[in-house]
Amino acid sequence: MAYGTNYVLKNIDLHIKEGQLAVLIGPSGCGKTTTLQLINRLISPVGGRIIVNGSDISAADPVQLRRNMGYVIQEIGLFPHMTIRRNIETVPRLLGWSRERQTARTLELLKLVGMDETYLDRYPSGLSGGQQQRIGLLRALAADPPIILMDEPFGALDPITRQSLQDEIMRLQKKLNKTVVFVTHDMDEALKIADVIILMKGGAIVQSAVPKELLRHPANEFVESFIGKRRTGSGTPETIGDVMSSRVICAGPGMSAVEAVDLMRREHVSSLFITDGDRRLLGQVTIADLQDAGLSGDPVLSEFTHTDIPALRLSDSARDAFSLMMHEHIDELPVLDDDGRIAGLVTRRSMVVSLARAVWQGDRRD
Amino acid sequence: MIGVTEFIDTVVRNQAFILRSTGRHLLICAAALLAGTAVAVPAGVLLSYHKKAAGAVLTVFSVINTVPSMVLLGAAMILFGLGVAPSVAVLFLYSLLPILRSTYTGITGIDPRYIKAASGMGMNRRQILLGVKLPLAAPSVISGVRLSAVYVISWATLAAFIGGGGLGDVIWIGLQSYNFHLVFCGAIPATVLALLVSWALNRVVRAVQKHVDGGVTS
Repeated sequence: MAYGTNYVLKNIDLHIKEGQLAVLIGPSGCGKTTTLQLINRLISPVGGRIIVNGSDISAADPVQLRRNMGYVIQEIGLFPHMTIRRNIETVPRLLGWSRERQTARTLELLKLVGMDETYLDRYPSGLSGGQQQRIGLLRALAADPPIILMDEPFGALDPITRQSLQDEIMRLQKKLNKTVVFVTHDMDEALKIADVIILMKGGAIVQSAVPKELLRHPANEFVESFIGKRRTGSGTPETIGDVMSSRVICAGPGMSAVEAVDLMRREHVSSLFITDGDRRLLGQVTIADLQDAGLSGDPVLSEFTHTDIPALRLSDSARDAFSLMMHEHIDELPVLDDDGRIAGLVTRRSMVVSLARAVWQGDRRD
Repeated sequence: MIGVTEFIDTVVRNQAFILRSTGRHLLICAAALLAGTAVAVPAGVLLSYHKKAAGAVLTVFSVINTVPSMVLLGAAMILFGLGVAPSVAVLFLYSLLPILRSTYTGITGIDPRYIKAASGMGMNRRQILLGVKLPLAAPSVISGVRLSAVYVISWATLAAFIGGGGLGDVIWIGLQSYNFHLVFCGAIPATVLALLVSWALNRVVRAVQKHVDGGVTS
């Protein structure tokens, strides 16, 4: 895919399963809209193949192809000179359905989104933005196409309307079993509605994964920064990975005790985790240990290290860790990955923050 | 007051001539305008698909419209001889530019979201033109026709010079015979006709605009 001599998309290898809601996401200019428009041939690729329902679409008539795919755009684009009824019936009219069949379908669709027949003869300009995009959605669904393409459909709507339309599209997609390809630049939206998220950057796919997988195992720093603080997940925390803080202050066993005190002061912590060069956990030293012993003779940390300390695994249950900390009055527990490397720290604070986030969803003021 | 009664006398005495000339005037204008619309609207649509050529074509027609009407009338007389045909031909030429320009700007000025939605849903070029572009451009197109109509009705008075007839005949005879009452008998109906047609077409433009905006007056 190229404009001029610059390739806009490179090596896009993407497979979207039937009945899935796939979200294409990325910063502006990443090629997500271009990818979408390749599917209904609003743009033609220079190379490569696009297969829809088993057949290469480069052989299909673009006009016929598009009538078999719903298309919803950010600008909504309801025809202002047509009534709601005529707008919804656009594709059925093109397909030459009988009047009775068109009317029956339109009424059925309106009912689907809780609107009644009083809307039929009204014009788009008399409707709110949210109502207009509901009609835009119905217009795309009118001829019952198996695939719906949505290009930032809720981008121009206010947050409350956007949320209710997100709920609507999730409900409709499951109910009608449509394959939806949805473009957005809003990660909250993607995480909420997607079965699979395809994160793009600079015309290439960076990571393609289900939302949970993307949150738990971002492929690289770009993905991490794009998901931002949602790293610990939306929804209910389930594993230790969901409730831990990745901020752990570690030190090597050979660090001098004086240096260690200074480090604790700077980092505002009361203990250090002692790790080897591979970040494998060896033990823990607390400020109390150092104070009790005194620092004369410039000792090193290995002399004070408690080696037998409790630790959690990434995959442990968050609920169990919570009970443990509350009942045993433990303030913090280190978390180890499968190789025994230190991955993070669960503190009372990190636990509370994660729970709060699950309760007050989307609030990231922490 | 003497002037008024003499004017009324002139009207009464020449009523058959004035009526006949008004009818002729309307006929010439209607013919020119219909032909002009029939040519300029499709031409404007064509230009909207060739935006690069559009600038040049619109400039050429602007130049034609600056040629003094007497020159064009003279040229038409040489080409078509005397009578109705050269008059209609010249008025037709004059009517083209406003309609051409308003059709072109009407179509190119349509919000691209409607075209995007239309093609994305599988309308072909013809369906987009007839179902989306022309309806949305209609107020602009009709405004162009209205502008042309006003020009054509007033310029048609010059058709008398090359035997086209119409209200120009009444004015011309009045001028030649120093009968200024007769001059007014031609000038007033021509003015009233232009105003009436302008008003009527303006009503049409507003009604169509209201329809295009979805029944909401802006």
